[in-house]
Amino acid sequence: MPLVCFKNVSKAYNGSLILDNITFEVKSGEFVSLVGRSGVGKTTILKMLIKEEPPTKGRIFFDDKDINKFKPRDVTFLRRKIGMVFQDFKLLSNRTAYENVAFAMEVAGYSNQAIKKDAPELLKLVNLEERADNFPHQLSAGERQRVVICRALAQRPELILADEPTGDLDPINTWEIIKLLMKINELGTAIILATHDKEVINTLGKRVISLDKGKIIRDEEEGKYLI
Amino acid sequence: MFVVIKRVFRTAWQGLTRNSWLSFTCIAMLTISLIILSSIFIFNSASNELINVLKEKMDISIYFQRNVPEEDILRIRDDLIGNEKIAKIEYISQEEALKIFEEKSSRNPAIKKALEELGENPLAASLNIKAKDTKYYTEIIDEVNNSAFKDKLITIDLMENQRVVERIDALSTGIKLGSILVILIAAFLSVLISFNTIRMAIYSLKGEIEIMKLVGASNWFIRGPFLLEGAIQGIIASCVAILILIPLVMWGSPRIGSFISEISISLYFWSYFWYILLYQTLFGVFLGIVSSFWAMNKYLKV
Repeated sequence: MPLVCFKNVSKAYNGSLILDNITFEVKSGEFVSLVGRSGVGKTTILKMLIKEEPPTKGRIFFDDKDINKFKPRDVTFLRRKIGMVFQDFKLLSNRTAYENVAFAMEVAGYSNQAIKKDAPELLKLVNLEERADNFPHQLSAGERQRVVICRALAQRPELILADEPTGDLDPINTWEIIKLLMKINELGTAIILATHDKEVINTLGKRVISLDKGKIIRDEEEGKYLI
Repeated sequence: MFVVIKRVFRTAWQGLTRNSWLSFTCIAMLTISLIILSSIFIFNSASNELINVLKEKMDISIYFQRNVPEEDILRIRDDLIGNEKIAKIEYISQEEALKIFEEKSSRNPAIKKALEELGENPLAASLNIKAKDTKYYTEIIDEVNNSAFKDKLITIDLMENQRVVERIDALSTGIKLGSILVILIAAFLSVLISFNTIRMAIYSLKGEIEIMKLVGASNWFIRGPFLLEGAIQGIIASCVAILILIPLVMWGSPRIGSFISEISISLYFWSYFWYILLYQTLFGVFLGIVSSFWAMNKYLKV
């Protein structure tokens, strides 16, 4: 049973077709990269997966459940199973790194004891234990992205969606984030990475789904960036 | 449940202290709204009390010719007391009238001397009539004028003349209608000011709300701290408003009192202090919660 399944999904904004009849599956524990030029619909795919956007046509399944049929309450549970990593971080600006991670755990219903035990360990995992009490504006871009990954991990998700996570980072930080995502994947969490960073894709050696003009033009195991 | 409440309180407190400028602005606007509303409320209540005092002071005095025996006057009084428009009748004999007159003019030696030279009591016995309502005075005067004992009277004296009666009635209705209108307009404006300020504050936090939704927080998980924050702002605003109102009343009350001696804003304020504080706090909390709730809904649809 696939973890994620897109069946003939199309998406149009104001009559203009962004995604045209997309079909693909992602298994549990898999690492998949979505590649393509800016505006090709990578982010839209991720947004539809967490029901931030509805598809215009087609069906999307997560854990074999049709998310189009989800009620608002089901959507909150869905989002607790899917960790999101954004290019623009989307951290809560008036909360410290620790509090951002703790917030995600509170949302998922963890006890205070569990939060006090797990949140510092998660921050240690991304080498940010020393920065736990810093607010996002006091952190570098790379550090912020590590907090975001930490927050995504806090809910022990089955899947992490990373939308251009290295878009605002320098090469050193880019590789740190990619290594971190690979490490998380090795521990069993599936990852869908949307990026247009050719070097990253070519080095990863993982499955690559290439998009162009709203369609999947290539879906290869150990793929390369060929657009 | 206790853990959830504790988290809501902690988050609300963090929101208040970490967004201190936003909190300050919201509290300031709520404070202004509450001061406006409370001032109108106090002034309205005090002016209603003034009308009651003026109404209380009104009466009709019917003066009897000096040769009418006391028994006749008392019989007339007993007949009149049965009139449903009349609340109270007081009989003032010639002797009592003289005593009252002497007391009133004790500082005027000329009047005292004139009375001594007259050698007899020149004052007439009278009945002081208080109506159940000011609107009955003219009807009572008409009834007295058409009564069988009309010939026994010297004069009918409405202490405040008819026009004043009508004016007070008109003023009373006017003030009631006017104050309802003013209260409605002021309430609307103050709600608008507070609502828009809180809406702006929440607008500036819309990104945070969207992030919370994307992390999987339920609507009530997000709303809770914001609503509590609104309520705390309402409570703080109410305390600040009352602290501003106290010196304002102390300063304004004697000044208003020097124009209208019957009206005492400060007396009213202190007699109803806890009531004013309570209603003001409840209204502040209501404004804070409703504005936050309303303003947030838009951003919870992510």
